[in-house]
Amino acid sequence: MPQTRSFDPYTENGGTILAIAGQDFSVIAGDTRQSEGYSIQTRYAPKVFRLTDRAVLAVNGFAADGNMFVKKVKQRLEWYRHAHAKDMPLRAIARLIQTMLYAKRFFPYYVYNILGGIEEDGTGAVYSFDPVGSYEREACRAAGAAQSLVQPFLDNQIYFKNQVPAPGTTHPAYLSLPDVLSIVIDSFTSATERHIEVGDGLEIYIVFAKTRDLQDFETIRAKNVHLIQELTVAEDGERIFVLRRDLKKD
Amino acid sequence: MSIMEYNGGSVVAMVGKGCVAIASDLRLGNQALGISSNFQKIFPITDHIYLGLPGLATDVTTLKEQFRYRVNMYTIKEEREIEPEAFAHLVSSTLYERRFGPFFIEPVMAGLTKKPSGEYKPFIAASDLIGCLNFAKDFVVAGTASSKLFGVAEGLWEPGLEPEDLFETISQTLLNAVDRDAYSGWGAVVHVM
Amino acid sequence: MDSSFAITGKGYAIVAADMTVSRSIVKMQYNEDKIKVLGSHLLMAFSGEPGDTVQFAEYVERNIRLAQIRNTYPLPPPSAASWIRRELADSLRSRSPYSVNLLVAGYDLSTHEPKLYWIDYLGTMATVPFAAHGYGSYFALSLLDRYHDPEATVEEGLATLRRCIDEVSKRLVVTPGKFKVKVVDKNGVREVEL
Repeated sequence: MPQTRSFDPYTENGGTILAIAGQDFSVIAGDTRQSEGYSIQTRYAPKVFRLTDRAVLAVNGFAADGNMFVKKVKQRLEWYRHAHAKDMPLRAIARLIQTMLYAKRFFPYYVYNILGGIEEDGTGAVYSFDPVGSYEREACRAAGAAQSLVQPFLDNQIYFKNQVPAPGTTHPAYLSLPDVLSIVIDSFTSATERHIEVGDGLEIYIVFAKTRDLQDFETIRAKNVHLIQELTVAEDGERIFVLRRDLKKD
Repeated sequence: MSIMEYNGGSVVAMVGKGCVAIASDLRLGNQALGISSNFQKIFPITDHIYLGLPGLATDVTTLKEQFRYRVNMYTIKEEREIEPEAFAHLVSSTLYERRFGPFFIEPVMAGLTKKPSGEYKPFIAASDLIGCLNFAKDFVVAGTASSKLFGVAEGLWEPGLEPEDLFETISQTLLNAVDRDAYSGWGAVVHVM
Repeated sequence: MDSSFAITGKGYAIVAADMTVSRSIVKMQYNEDKIKVLGSHLLMAFSGEPGDTVQFAEYVERNIRLAQIRNTYPLPPPSAASWIRRELADSLRSRSPYSVNLLVAGYDLSTHEPKLYWIDYLGTMATVPFAAHGYGSYFALSLLDRYHDPEATVEEGLATLRRCIDEVSKRLVVTPGKFKVKVVDKNGVREVEL
């Protein structure tokens, strides 16, 4: 009898991530369910991570690879801080992620990355990557198990695809923070409703540019004091908040 | 290569307030190659029922013809128009007849049922390729863009839509879903009852 | 594999099919007519599995003729195409399916319109303004997207078809060789030299 052996070092852990760039803010979100097949391993496994005061990374796919990758990116950013006494700019982090992913071209990290944050010029930015490092800067991106459910919804609501503005008007160039947050929450409640690998909890990271007036956000914050937590380290720089919400657990 | 994705195409149906809508794309392809941008997938069954047939195109035509025949026979025997509920079961049994050599079609139905009071109640249903019916209360989707349709419809649809708003909702749902699907698109058609 | 094209224009349809019969790498024949004349105003280009093609085409030819004898009048193009499609669809789920792809073109005397149907061996049928089968379709369809004009005269239509044939002859690895071209309009069927 011929014997064959195989070693499969990968698995798929479900979940979905999503990021949207505003004019002077960026929103990066992910659900917290981690599953394998039909089993839920945990209802709280974060997929979104603060890298610096102006960069947040969402990682989706094979959770073990994802966690290892974030760990290594954080380590490289710490080395950068020690060498240059400042945080790495967002576009540089994006390029760093590309080289780190491509370095493992023939034994890849089985993860889709979405990097969100604030660019050096103060604009909100989203960078999306494939597992081997192809990347581009975009206004919005969904990835993961429910990408096919969420991305066409985002095309419609963020890019206004297939929508015609009323005569004499144009589509807004940038969406407001409350609008973006509503779209993110709607996207995840929809995905939770129709996809079994999405649910349990939702973590929404919000990164604000240094110069931004936080009045609109403070209104939202006042109404959701127990849900929102500030993660900013340095003073009078960019500010990061995380908003945690429940999603259906069935 | 999946048979269900050989020709491409998608259908969606939605319930509104005293109305229903059904919409589809118009593409016919051979895998990635586009053949026709005018391929009908939604067919009128009675004055109050539309039937969408996404899936293998040869079976779209065969089933369209078979349903026309069976609905005509029903009308002659019963001396009345078939009701949407009865038609849904006709679809189901027609597909289950071929349980072990199925038609590769996932039908979607939309219709209006006449109540004893005289007013019309919206009705939608979908079926898998062997006739398992799904009587949804909100919306049903099928075809190569089904996962995209689910996502957009779940985000845009709400209960109690008036005909004009239902038209906009189903149109936006279909358009944005097929724009992310290589096998669907190339034109669209929407019916509101 | 063989290539066939067809287009409709103002009051006519043109069908073209290559004339090569090949087996493996060898061209066995170069003057085969692969377009059947099914009636006074009906044409059918056939391609696919050698053997099945002629067998099925002749079966169609005789049944269309039978329908005309029985009913006095010939089947109009939509009815003929529907019948042919159904034969292929039924054949698909039989013990020995025909592997034949067709382009059915006709002039409908009741509506005074040309009709063109793209039909494949599965029984898939589409009503189209222009169509192609075989490797030639990968070149012809994009050309026809650009150059097809439903209001074009026969001469312009033939010129458009010429583009398709020239492109296939130029770019396809195995040149199909000569093409047979037939036109159908209100006056009936005729063969033309390109």
